[in-house]
Amino acid sequence: MNTNHLPEIVDRSETGPYAAESDFDLMLVKKVPELISRHGIKFDPKVLVPSDDAMVDRLYEAAVELFVDIGAYNQTSERRILFSRGETEEIVAGQPSRIVLGTGKDAVVEVHREVESLVPCRVHSGPTGTPSSERHHKLILQSCAQEPLVDCLGAGSVSTYMGRQIVPGSPTEILGTRRDSAEAREAVRKAGRPGMHIEDNATPLTCQGKMAAVDPASGLRTSDGMLVSQMVEMKTDYDQLSRVAYMQSIGMHIVDLLVPLVGGLGGGAEGTALLTVAEHILGAVLYHPSYHFMGHMHLMRINNTDRMGLWIQAMAGQALARNTPMVVSNDIYCVSGTGTSGLLWEVAAGAMIGAVCGTHQHGMGVAGGATVDQTTGLEARFQAQVAHAALGMTRSEVNELVLGCLSHYEDRLDDPDPGKSFPQLYDVATLKPNGEWLDQYESVCEALTGMGLDIDGAWRRVLRDRDLAGVVS
Amino acid sequence: MDGKWQALCRTINEGNSEAGVAEALRLLETGETPLAVFLECVEPCLADIGDRFARLETFLPELMLAADAVKAIQEELLPRLQADGSEGYGKGRVVIGTIFGDIHDIGKSIVSVLLQVNGYEVKDLGVNVPAKDLVQAAKDFDADLIGISGLMMPSLPYIRDAIALVKENPELVDRFRIMVGGGPVTREWALQAGADGYADNAVGAVTEAALLLEGRP
Repeated sequence: MNTNHLPEIVDRSETGPYAAESDFDLMLVKKVPELISRHGIKFDPKVLVPSDDAMVDRLYEAAVELFVDIGAYNQTSERRILFSRGETEEIVAGQPSRIVLGTGKDAVVEVHREVESLVPCRVHSGPTGTPSSERHHKLILQSCAQEPLVDCLGAGSVSTYMGRQIVPGSPTEILGTRRDSAEAREAVRKAGRPGMHIEDNATPLTCQGKMAAVDPASGLRTSDGMLVSQMVEMKTDYDQLSRVAYMQSIGMHIVDLLVPLVGGLGGGAEGTALLTVAEHILGAVLYHPSYHFMGHMHLMRINNTDRMGLWIQAMAGQALARNTPMVVSNDIYCVSGTGTSGLLWEVAAGAMIGAVCGTHQHGMGVAGGATVDQTTGLEARFQAQVAHAALGMTRSEVNELVLGCLSHYEDRLDDPDPGKSFPQLYDVATLKPNGEWLDQYESVCEALTGMGLDIDGAWRRVLRDRDLAGVVS
Repeated sequence: MDGKWQALCRTINEGNSEAGVAEALRLLETGETPLAVFLECVEPCLADIGDRFARLETFLPELMLAADAVKAIQEELLPRLQADGSEGYGKGRVVIGTIFGDIHDIGKSIVSVLLQVNGYEVKDLGVNVPAKDLVQAAKDFDADLIGISGLMMPSLPYIRDAIALVKENPELVDRFRIMVGGGPVTREWALQAGADGYADNAVGAVTEAALLLEGRP
């Protein structure tokens, strides 16, 4: 397949086998358990960070089989898009392993990470998966962009324009999108990092809305990126593929977003891990992205910090690290609200797993993504510190630490502390965290230090060696 | 549950349609009525599956396969139920869809499956459904209840439109009940928008549907 793959994708979308969506779901529901059983993939709730390379490789092989067997489903044409194993392996092998994000002095290089890699994680941050208000969105963005350990800014979603609900496909969607792109650009400028990579504008719901986000002068640029989504599970449509066409044609970074649901069509931990890996392959084949955004989540609680979610992160990350050149990031979806120790313990568990299982850090969703303005820069700083402190550790060492973190929040997964909003935790004029939030942060940092993590020293080494790790030279 | 129902309940739990139909027919041969099969076995069995799913002790694939098994049993037994002159199992007709501007499918689909396995006839319109299409489908299907899902805040105005199309039409206002749900939808918003009911999860949607249709002919 040549580099402009979209005409071929459209051809196959129009000529592939017809299937009602429910029949495609049923096909998947029956195939996944068979693959899990045949490949001997087994979830152990006591070993959340497995060191079993053979099982990790079997997971990858099962995912290739799943994708080659059932393909992707195009919801627009109601047909399956099929690829041979040879085509699939060729496209995956051609995935970028080293990308430049951002521009000028603020550009960073983000590379494929291996299992137990010594290459530091890149840290993306922002209200990804957590809605923001018109009033506080730009302040939240700046609070994240100004954190020295944050490498890339994830812009958020705002549902109103001048107090009115944004109507998708209407002028308010275009206006809201352009406002939020300008605010993201302004946030990185105010943080003194005007070339920092901005990875999305999450306000628009349509392709035309996404296109309105791009404005080299005061919005998103080609050195930034935007998400192209997969629909659960293993599905796309022409609106998403049209976003690929636009971004590919202007040379902008394409970010593959996948959100497999734990307990959904894949079943439990094993099936969802399988879908998570298969959907990275699907994203590579259909979207040709620069990097991938893994965001699996619990069907009911909208988090991935319970035992199943953490195991899926560890297994999928390792499978992709060992078998592909992909650049993968993982979003830590949490149930606790901002300003709580529960949130920090959830983030610590996910950040450490990312560090040793081959992924980058993709910020976090907070309070199940249900509450407005639940993001601050301080938890981004914390995520980076923990990830850097776990660098060089083994999977089994991290497994013990993750179980320790889990003991601080597992009994409250169904009844989490709702936390507070940005203006209750930050001075909105100086953009500094208040004493209450700093106390929580320092208390958990101290506890993690007691568990053997060099929370205060590791990040210094990462910053010192930053040139070697990837700033464009 | 009485021991005589265990085998049928097991086939439903296993999602084994063929064995389920065979066991249901065997029970009829022993003198059980179709209504008893539904009320004393199928319903409690499904309630248990629904409860376990709500705690995610069982997962969506098991729920879907159980729904398939129950559907097969229903198709076999409903004509006999009607022939018996028994009433009371067909609980109502529901049109359901995710509102225009929103392509989130899974939450709506789970509600659809749970309603079906609990004895409702459901027409699932899929995602991105315009308000007028929802209402037209409800008329065509002769529905009792319209279920609307919305997970994106920008799509909420379209839910409000759908509600208005029913509530502001004198011919429809007493004909359809409307139930809404989805991430950004709250009970307060639902009531303020004019919906009759609200649920924040699939199991709750089944309970709410029963309340809304209680006493309706």
